[in-house]
Amino acid sequence: MSESDFEKGADAPRDDDVELLAQDADTEAPELEAPPAGPPATVPSTSTDVASSRISVVSEPVARTDDEEFQWHTGTKHSVEGVEDAIEFLDVHKAFGRNRVLRGLNLGIPENRISMILGPSGTGKSVCIKHMVGLLYPDQGDILVHGESVPNMVDDELFDMRRKFGVLFQDGALFGSMNLYDNVAFPLRQHTDRGEEEIAEIVNARLREVGLGEANEMMPNELSGGMRKRAGFARALVLDPDIVLFDEPDSGLDPVRTALLCELIKEIHEENGGAYVVITHDIASARRVAEFIAVLWRGRIVESGPAADLFASENPFVRQFLSGESQGPLGME
Amino acid sequence: MNGLLAAPRAWIETFGEIAGFCGQVLGQVFGGRVFRFFGEALRQAGILILSSTLVICGLVFIIGLQCGIEGAYFTRGTGTPTYAGVFAAWCDLRELVPYAFGYMMAAKVGTGIVAELGSMRISDEIDALEVMGINSMTFLCATRLLASWMVLPFVYIASVRSGFFASYLAVVVQIHEVSAGGYSLIFWMFQNPPDLLFSAIKAMAMATVIVLVGCYYGYNARGGPVGVGTATAKSMVLNIVAVHLIGMLGTQIFWGANPRAPIGG
Repeated sequence: MSESDFEKGADAPRDDDVELLAQDADTEAPELEAPPAGPPATVPSTSTDVASSRISVVSEPVARTDDEEFQWHTGTKHSVEGVEDAIEFLDVHKAFGRNRVLRGLNLGIPENRISMILGPSGTGKSVCIKHMVGLLYPDQGDILVHGESVPNMVDDELFDMRRKFGVLFQDGALFGSMNLYDNVAFPLRQHTDRGEEEIAEIVNARLREVGLGEANEMMPNELSGGMRKRAGFARALVLDPDIVLFDEPDSGLDPVRTALLCELIKEIHEENGGAYVVITHDIASARRVAEFIAVLWRGRIVESGPAADLFASENPFVRQFLSGESQGPLGME
Repeated sequence: MNGLLAAPRAWIETFGEIAGFCGQVLGQVFGGRVFRFFGEALRQAGILILSSTLVICGLVFIIGLQCGIEGAYFTRGTGTPTYAGVFAAWCDLRELVPYAFGYMMAAKVGTGIVAELGSMRISDEIDALEVMGINSMTFLCATRLLASWMVLPFVYIASVRSGFFASYLAVVVQIHEVSAGGYSLIFWMFQNPPDLLFSAIKAMAMATVIVLVGCYYGYNARGGPVGVGTATAKSMVLNIVAVHLIGMLGTQIFWGANPRAPIGG
């Protein structure tokens, strides 16, 4: 395994990936050697199908053809006029073992907009984020950030490119050994030559911005879930990144705090600008903050475009998902 | 047949991965990249000093007592109680102090590293470092290795002293069959400065392997808290085996051909 493989997290699925894969495993036809692209192989649907070369001991879902699986995936992109894409996914495929997570993903994230990638659990949303920052690499396809190909970057270029990003992880990912102030100051100390006074000014301003001005000395384990997310947000913003990624900022929060966090995201975006990408499956959050929406399912974009267009979409899947109805193409499988 | 070969094949694969990982971390240290995070290395050094020195010295003190007591009763049994210092000198410096140091390093420092890095991995802290544009392997692993190299030689010397002192207490003060001067004469006659150097090399080799193995299992931990627990256990097993291998090889290499025993002129 090369140095870069270790540094970039290689291809090994992580906890969240595993969860995601487990769900996908139920919906996809298992294959012995699944190529990243192409139609899934036909597999026995019951244990009585012993004529095939494999013995199946569980009831497996009937394999679908690509046409059936992707019948709702029009791939329609309602473009945002006059706005370039900050991030582009070009026919990206990614598999973890037999489980194909991204299956020909084509997506553009516009500059200076709050974009939301929405989709049912286990469709590859977090995997998307990891591809954007080069924590995962596609098996096939390309990811462009401001026109530069992420998979083709050497390590130093990759680390430089990552400075464009601020990322808010699901649980904040604050460093447990540092207090809140040091957590937020950390990127400034590592990447700038600023003195402590200047750093203190910036850090305190950011902490006040997210409502944590009085919590400087607190350790991450003393913070509530919402506070950790806000602290993670402050840290993500501290280097004034061009692109900010939010991995399910609403997970584990009550509706009121989710609403407050959404307002905070909107306010800070209005002040700072940049491309904000929010991964979520919470439709209420989408209604509050999204300017651009991409609906992801089965590793591909069903439809994407300005939020208003998507909420008015005639696509049955998009309509069902954005209205949260039980009737429609999306079932429990 | 394939089933029988699967386990050894997996061991070889893991060994290869660990070797590759160690090569990268060593490369970060020798290549000088680690000095970008020298502050973090100093912080880790401070943690090692404050949290491990006393524990290591404490264990070695007990081992030193044991060497002294064993040496005193053994030489009494052979009618040469004045030579208790021979046993203590060799037992302390060449064998049991390095082993005790290795055990405590594996149990405290090694498992601590796995648990800390593993927790960071599963809570996305390592990913957070990466997306901040910081090479997490350099920041987390190379700094720990550098810190251990900066601090542990001194910790080891301190622990050797505590072992020597304990043996002296056991032989001279507690059992008291030899005078202080008689004990010291023999004790120092059967060791010299190169022995201390060789002993320290043994201990540092153990410490290096323990830190690297700890970093490997922690950095690559998977599967949530259970995965971190499993990784900790695996690292402990591997480290204990490695400590004994290094101990055995060190004795062979440093004293196998020339035991430097001033016996018979």
